[in-house]
Amino acid sequence: MIRVEEIEKHFGALHVLRGITFHVEKGEAIVIIGPSGSGKSTLLRCINLLVEPDSGKIFIDGVHVNHHGIRHEWVRQQVGMVFQSFNLFTHLTAIENVTLGLTRVKSMPRDQAIEKARRLLARVGLAAKENAYPAELSGGQQQRVAIARALAMDPKAMLFDEPTSALDPEYIREVLDVMTALAREGMTMIVVTHEMGFASNAASRILFMDAGKIVEEGSAEQIFHHPKEERTRSFVSKILR
Amino acid sequence: MEATVAFRRREPPKLVTVITVVHLIEMTVATLLMAFVVLPMIFHFSLLSSQFWQIYGRFYVTGLFGTFFYVAVTLPLSVVLGFFMGWARVSRIRIFSWPASLYVNVFRGLPPLILVIFASLFGTSLVPQPILDRFFAGFRRGDIAVGIAAIAIGMHSSAYQAEIFRAGFQSVPKGQVDAAQALGLRPWQGMRHVVLPQTFRLSLPPLGNEFAVLIKDTSILAGIAGTELVAKSRDLLGILPANGLPIVWIFAVWTVVAFTYFVLTYSVTRGLRLLEQKFHTPGLEAISL
Amino acid sequence: MADWIRFLRERWQYFDAALALALIVGALVYIYDLLVGSRGLDVAYITRNYTLYLHAVLTNVYATTIAFLAGLAIGFSVGWLRTARTASLAKFAGSMRVEKRERQEDASGSESARRLMVVLSLLWFGTKYVIRRIGDGFVEIIRGTPLYVQILFASSYFIIFLPQYASEGILIGIIALAINTGGYQAEIFRAGLQTVHSGQIEAARAIGFSRLKAMRYVVLPQALRLIIPPLTNEYIGLFKASTFLFVLGVQDEISYLAQHEGFAGDVFEIFAIVTVIFLGITVTLSFVVQAFERRFRIPGLGIEQVTLPRGVRIARAGG
Repeated sequence: MIRVEEIEKHFGALHVLRGITFHVEKGEAIVIIGPSGSGKSTLLRCINLLVEPDSGKIFIDGVHVNHHGIRHEWVRQQVGMVFQSFNLFTHLTAIENVTLGLTRVKSMPRDQAIEKARRLLARVGLAAKENAYPAELSGGQQQRVAIARALAMDPKAMLFDEPTSALDPEYIREVLDVMTALAREGMTMIVVTHEMGFASNAASRILFMDAGKIVEEGSAEQIFHHPKEERTRSFVSKILR
Repeated sequence: MEATVAFRRREPPKLVTVITVVHLIEMTVATLLMAFVVLPMIFHFSLLSSQFWQIYGRFYVTGLFGTFFYVAVTLPLSVVLGFFMGWARVSRIRIFSWPASLYVNVFRGLPPLILVIFASLFGTSLVPQPILDRFFAGFRRGDIAVGIAAIAIGMHSSAYQAEIFRAGFQSVPKGQVDAAQALGLRPWQGMRHVVLPQTFRLSLPPLGNEFAVLIKDTSILAGIAGTELVAKSRDLLGILPANGLPIVWIFAVWTVVAFTYFVLTYSVTRGLRLLEQKFHTPGLEAISL
Repeated sequence: MADWIRFLRERWQYFDAALALALIVGALVYIYDLLVGSRGLDVAYITRNYTLYLHAVLTNVYATTIAFLAGLAIGFSVGWLRTARTASLAKFAGSMRVEKRERQEDASGSESARRLMVVLSLLWFGTKYVIRRIGDGFVEIIRGTPLYVQILFASSYFIIFLPQYASEGILIGIIALAINTGGYQAEIFRAGLQTVHSGQIEAARAIGFSRLKAMRYVVLPQALRLIIPPLTNEYIGLFKASTFLFVLGVQDEISYLAQHEGFAGDVFEIFAIVTVIFLGITVTLSFVVQAFERRFRIPGLGIEQVTLPRGVRIARAGG
């Protein structure tokens, strides 16, 4: 469903992505792990074209998307993204955050959009907070609104960029629950995270990235308990205490 | 939207608090004391003297209207200019950011008086002749110079406003722009629905003060014989000795003028605070430059 | 063809910069041409007279410094007065209630003595309050009225009450500027003193410092480092405001020239010289001020100062 071929990216002198190739089947939830600076976030941002790769091809549903003929806005409607710092629009309430994309990008009529937004907020467990401003919500609540906001666009796949890294420990669970439920429902997901529990539970495959390359990929069992590469082994041993 | 919500929006902070009322009472008391106790005692003069108002009234009203006129013309101009300059300053396109930075540094670094003098001396030379002929054929050269000087004051203020708006733009977290893009919003949509509403809310508090400064700066036009409050009041002083009127009246005049400016600046800053409260959203606090 | 476009896209940065530069230079040249153009710049005039104008602008520096120092005294005293602690009405009423209850329980003790205490404390707080509010009022008036009006007020005062000095433009100007800067400095001092007031004195006393020692070793050093940056900015602002001295006819040279040589033809040169000198001093001062600030700023502690023109220096205590 998503296929990435030989993606290269430089930031000035820094060679961040050195020929990344992988694919994600429909309904798969894959988790990308790796040390910071390995290029995980950059890779994610290449998929929805927030960052343009220097070379290589990205295919979504068979369509070659990093092609100058394709509109970026269209690509981003196919793939939703959830950010580490939530990035909710501070001046809008929770429900307004969710309806913005619906009314302005999908040109949905207002009442329809509100209906849909309400359903999504209920789905992430925040029906009661629809009129709250982001500043009035806890971190976990904000991130769940962010997930609802991304889901509102009916994306074919969801990208999660370290969604729980900025959260206080007591809020991590609620966000991971939403993500796990999403994976169970069959959403195609690529998740960059350090939460090994989630990776073991929900991921169909795990990719280990280091220094801009995919070092190893496999099931949770394989990566965590029988890693083939030395680098994988040392990284996994550091995080699995 | 049905209100089956368990969560209520927080009330915006009150505009009129106990402190405001106390302040207003204090100010009224102080004004009354000044007008009816201090002035009569020191200057042997009472503001109730109808003779005074009969003579000064004319000058005052003309001057006041003149000031209002200049403010009404230059204020919107300065906001528009300031906004676009501020926007240009944060742009990555150097064709916009460099000239804007130059503009801001020049007009901020020079005191308004120098700008006014420059405008009055050279302003008319800078405007292309065809424009002068077409729009301003009927006006005297001196009046046009004053108009250009007023615009110069507006430009001075716009330089400061540009900095305020720039800070407003930069205070909107970049991540939200990413999120807007990730949703599929086009760049101009992101600007309109995400960035600008927040820039506007963030910039309001410092802007109020800047407007107060603009109002005070219009007094500089008196230096080049513009028609405004200070100039007209000075004219009165010219005729006082000629008509054998007590020269102590000068103080009454300046007190009234000072009071007027005070009321103007105070109302503008308070008025903008009203606007602030109307648009207030939790999480968007005032910026510090 | 596509290669061309790619080439342009990659080099976009340089095109951008070059175009921007061209735009700026072009605009400046155009303005210069409009103002000077065919006449040609009268360089001879500049070389002949620049010392004259230098002296004129230096008079401004002189006046600014004197006014600033005077303003320092005014600002400090007023600022200090404004930090006078006055209990809020609610707290006072509360303490009154406590008093009343105590009185009812303990019938002994002189009634009139207690009444006297109440009256005295009322008077004491009342006076402190009035003094503080007068200080606030002074600052509000200075900040709410244009400098020009303040100058005219001052010169009217001289014309009427001290006519023998009325012709000393520079004296009037310095006094007006001093009072003006005093008002703004009062705000800076107030914020500086209040920022430190809060927990520090109590902490110092808790360690065992006497009130005086606390002042000397805890409050003052911190207050100093808080107020020096905004004060230096105020100095620059005052220097820019001192241009009003021109209006008062302080610079004899300019008045002389106006009367005798007239301005025809050389106006631009005169204006250019004065502006250049003025800008030169301002820029130099800014560098000095920045160096000063770097030395004195405590990271993370400071008075949030909005960098607006002198008209609205808001010093808010920030931590």
